[in-house]
Amino acid sequence: MTIASMQGVVKRYSSDIALDYVDLDIQEGEIIGLLGPNGAGKTTLIQTLTGMTPFERGKVELFGQSKNPFSIQNKERMGLVTQEITVFEELTARENLHFFAGVYGLKGEEKKRRVEEALEFVGLGDKGAKMPTKFSGGMKRRLNIACALTHQPRFLIMDEPTVGIDPQSRNYILETVKKLRENGTTILYTTHYMEEVQAIATRVVIMDQGQIIKEGTVEELIKTVQHEEKMKIDVTDADSVPINDLEKIAGVKKVVLSGSQITIISAVGSGNLDRILTLVKEYTGVLGIQADKPNLEDVFLTLTGKQLRDKGEE
Amino acid sequence: MTIFKFALKRSFSNTTNLIFLTLFPIACIFLPNGEDWPFLPYGYQYFGILILFVGIRLATIILEDREKGVVKRLAVAPISHFQYLSQNLLAYSVILILQCILVVFGGVLYGQELYQPGWLLFLFVSFSFASLAIALAWISIYRKKDVSFLVYMSLIFIVIILGGLMIPIEIFPDLLKRIAIIFPTFWLAEGLNWIVFGENILDFLLINGVLWLYTIIFIIIGSTRKIY
Repeated sequence: MTIASMQGVVKRYSSDIALDYVDLDIQEGEIIGLLGPNGAGKTTLIQTLTGMTPFERGKVELFGQSKNPFSIQNKERMGLVTQEITVFEELTARENLHFFAGVYGLKGEEKKRRVEEALEFVGLGDKGAKMPTKFSGGMKRRLNIACALTHQPRFLIMDEPTVGIDPQSRNYILETVKKLRENGTTILYTTHYMEEVQAIATRVVIMDQGQIIKEGTVEELIKTVQHEEKMKIDVTDADSVPINDLEKIAGVKKVVLSGSQITIISAVGSGNLDRILTLVKEYTGVLGIQADKPNLEDVFLTLTGKQLRDKGEE
Repeated sequence: MTIFKFALKRSFSNTTNLIFLTLFPIACIFLPNGEDWPFLPYGYQYFGILILFVGIRLATIILEDREKGVVKRLAVAPISHFQYLSQNLLAYSVILILQCILVVFGGVLYGQELYQPGWLLFLFVSFSFASLAIALAWISIYRKKDVSFLVYMSLIFIVIILGGLMIPIEIFPDLLKRIAIIFPTFWLAEGLNWIVFGENILDFLLINGVLWLYTIIFIIIGSTRKIY
């Protein structure tokens, strides 16, 4: 069953196009990893899909309804985990959950039970009486997720839910997402951490400049770049290296400069390593060389010529 | 009524709000009479100033929700912008009405000369609603609560002084007297004078009518901005 669908959706902010004829189908039981750099249009896509932002052209369908997709009935079946930690700091963790459960119409004993279940689910079962101000970043993130779970949504949208937390908490959240799927929730998970998508997504959708530029399973996407090799060269002064000359070397497909690192994508078996190194060494000192197996980052790099995250970005 | 219930809870959740909402109104009851002016005890002349600050403190909770992004969740939840706003405003109105009751009937019990306590309560309630509506309209143009509160505090002092709540308006030059009419504080000050000297009930109803007009206009302005 199709849970959510967007067909030819266009959204502009004055002259900037945020969604450029986006087509997307989300099937029941999927974890869609929506991958893209900052400004790719991920958040706009979410806002459009949830009815927060009107769109200019196209069609949005939720739970099979296209006439009134953002009806109260459909909203009751959806949940949103926001990018910001959107909990009330003046209320305890349990009170926060009671608030959101109440907003979704839960009452009495059922509400109490669902609140306790949600707290347990995110590993905060014994922290219900504490104020979020006493929580670590990871715990706040988990509470942020729990607030969207009390009404047991069929379709959960998670907008970069792991920003700014430690690896341990991140792993906990990723495990939680997998458990949610096992319990029957369909998830749209946006991030710019390709490792997360690689770990949990059943299907990956790559966005850039408001367009969906590729989609498929992780394996399918990686296969598309297996005819390529990636080499990363750490140098002392990357700015002095003539990128144009590197791009002219036979077999070189793409050259990306990021901080003091040059990433070069070449066709498999092009045997151009010597020539590349010789050229680089003419202009700067080489600190290290690294060759990686292709991953989603490479798929993204190949498709857009950009990296998912800037160097130094968390 | 989840939003209403939690709006009440959140209003009393920090120390500053507790002081504004409980200790200050109680203090108003015990302030003495002035020699020549004001005609009511000081606490009742200045209670209007407190109402203005309580109004902005309470309305700032809505701005805080917008600033933090909490309202994004609510935008996706099965409640409308109207439900969110009306339940919050209802909670704040209940708090303001209770404050007015506490101050007026507290004063009666303490033995303050309040002339017409019933009408005084009515006047304070009308002014409370106007204050809340103005605060709602004010926060609708801001994204940051600190900036909003600071600018409001600065401007409101001018409104308090020019409206005749702190200094009798009779000592102002003619131009300022004419300008004062546009401030809701002027109508409160007029209402307080009526409580002591007024005879014609129509004058008092007109004063309250102007305050209700302010309420309606500013509620409309303040509620046009979406919650997210």
